[in-house]
Amino acid sequence: MAPSEPVSQPLGLTGFNAASLAALVERRGERSVTAQERYDALARYEELPARGPARGRYWKRDLASLDLSGQRPPGAETQADLYAPVGPLAGNIVYTQIDGASTCDARGGMVEAFDGASDRRAEALSAARGRALDTRDDKFASLALAFQHGGVFVDVPPGRRVEEPLVLAYEAREQAIFPYTLVRVGAGASATVVERLRTGAGTSPHAPFLGPLCELVVEEGGTLTYVVLQEAGSDATVIATRRGVVERGGTLAFAVADLGGGLSLDRVRITAAGRNARIDVGGIFFADGDQHVDLETETRHDSPETRSVTVVRTAATERGQGRYLGNIHIAEHANASDASLRDDALLLGRKAHIESIPALEIASNDVKAFHGATVGSIDDDEIFYAQSRGISRAEAERMIALGFFEPALASFPMDELRDHLRREIARKLEGAA
Amino acid sequence: MNDMAEQGLRIDGLRVNVAGTEILKGIDLVVEPGSVHALMGPNGSGKSTLAFAMTGHPNYDVTAGSVTLDGESLLELPPDKRARAGLFLSFQYPAAIPGVSVANFLRAARQAVHPDDLPPAKFRQLVFEQLDALDMDVAFMSRYVNDGFSGGEKKRLEMLQLGILAPRYAVLDETDSGLDVDALRAVGNSVAALRKSDAGKQTGFLIITHYPRILQHITADVVHIMMDGRIVKSGGPELANLIEREGYEALREEVAGGAV
Repeated sequence: MAPSEPVSQPLGLTGFNAASLAALVERRGERSVTAQERYDALARYEELPARGPARGRYWKRDLASLDLSGQRPPGAETQADLYAPVGPLAGNIVYTQIDGASTCDARGGMVEAFDGASDRRAEALSAARGRALDTRDDKFASLALAFQHGGVFVDVPPGRRVEEPLVLAYEAREQAIFPYTLVRVGAGASATVVERLRTGAGTSPHAPFLGPLCELVVEEGGTLTYVVLQEAGSDATVIATRRGVVERGGTLAFAVADLGGGLSLDRVRITAAGRNARIDVGGIFFADGDQHVDLETETRHDSPETRSVTVVRTAATERGQGRYLGNIHIAEHANASDASLRDDALLLGRKAHIESIPALEIASNDVKAFHGATVGSIDDDEIFYAQSRGISRAEAERMIALGFFEPALASFPMDELRDHLRREIARKLEGAA
Repeated sequence: MNDMAEQGLRIDGLRVNVAGTEILKGIDLVVEPGSVHALMGPNGSGKSTLAFAMTGHPNYDVTAGSVTLDGESLLELPPDKRARAGLFLSFQYPAAIPGVSVANFLRAARQAVHPDDLPPAKFRQLVFEQLDALDMDVAFMSRYVNDGFSGGEKKRLEMLQLGILAPRYAVLDETDSGLDVDALRAVGNSVAALRKSDAGKQTGFLIITHYPRILQHITADVVHIMMDGRIVKSGGPELANLIEREGYEALREEVAGGAV
């Protein structure tokens, strides 16, 4: 891996506004995202209302008055000392970005920096970009596009089957990061991509901000497994916008673990655009401490004979707050489609709270759709049963709570990832105990 | 070592309320080490209440009496410590624990009841022997505890745990209910195997049942009949035969007549 970007000088600016955007554009020139797009996006960011859970009895964060004026925009000084790969699947990291500096391992031309795409790639990139992600209806997606900096374009050619997972490591230290991850899986191709989001031990007095954009395009008969491990520090704000489109006969298996961040909003929308397209969504979060976590998933069935399966398991302990909004949309002409959504929430503390909101919009008569949701604490009969076998109450609770996540963990590929997640969940359980 | 006089699972004058209603109205019963007692009675007589109260279910409120296990008083202990003292309950309706594999559950239970007494290889060997004895496939081990199990599978898993925990005293609550002949035989075989083993030859059994048919597979030394929260009659195995022939109503009349 070789560093791709020279280290920038300090901009000396704070906040996400016209002045800091002008400095970014001047510094970087036009790349995959044009200056005009950025200014338009900034205008939308300033005009659009913030969507998300409303402040109330449990949810303490007010998105409408989220103060980002102290944030340091991208383009400020960056750290070039890229770390040795750590964490799950460290050996499979193909792209590392810390603040604005990045290294990229091209993997035979499949992986390229989003900003540094070669001429040959630039065409493919602009052909793929926008097929799934439109930032125009969303405030924070617009912000991310305006200040986009870094990210990666993974382009898997038709027919290519990539066995090893491609791991992307994004880390914020001294400044906000807005990486753009664009993945195109060509016809009949398959790949697994893992996106890791972290924050480092920075010296910035400001809480880190991560605003990733993610756009996934699966072409005819292709298969993409996309995994998000969001493990930002507890002082971080993470607002992610993720969109996917699956064409005829393709499969997108999407698994997200939002374990980090003080405030985490993750908005996922995947469209089954072609006949026989399949979408699998797995999601987990576990809000502890003072964490507020909001996860939205939407599966859209726009063609006949499409299938989607969504399995979400969430938990909250201490003062942790969560909301899960699960939406299934089936278009009028999407006959013989089959959608299911199962979400269960586990409350482990008296001050912890999770809201679960299912929403089914079904315009076709000829479909199967299932939805089931529960919010509850650990079942007393399960604890008693385990205790009757000599297992202490604390151990029984730990065991049952860990087991609770298993159906959603099954959506994650690879033992190494699942074991990592089990350890992180166990760590949260022990911290709260 | 406890005094020999204190040996046994001893229930003295036990009274138990459930939701404010007295269900057990003074139970006296001693299960000696290595013995098999059957507790029979019609539905609603309080048999399962006795099992849950001994095990320490929070909904069962002991208002009087004591339960000791080889001299150790159980009633002050939480359920897990009662199990570690050597008490085992085979549930009539065991809870499912989704997400927790049978393998992990058994390992945790064995470790809790008999800490560090078996190296992993020996533990695996023990598990395989017990699976074999119960005609259970090894695939059971990776399933979630009782999750989606048939009635027979649940009872087999209870027996598997009995074999692996080798308790000092085992209470089998309606283990025969809902079992076909083969499953019933498997239950009988596994109890017999435990009683023959070094670990289980001192195990005392209290077999709670509505029907006498399980006693064709496990011979009881003593049979007790419970009605309306009291033990109304105790005797040898012939008592079970009497119930089979004449039912509980005949006995109820006899007991009521005797009381006049």
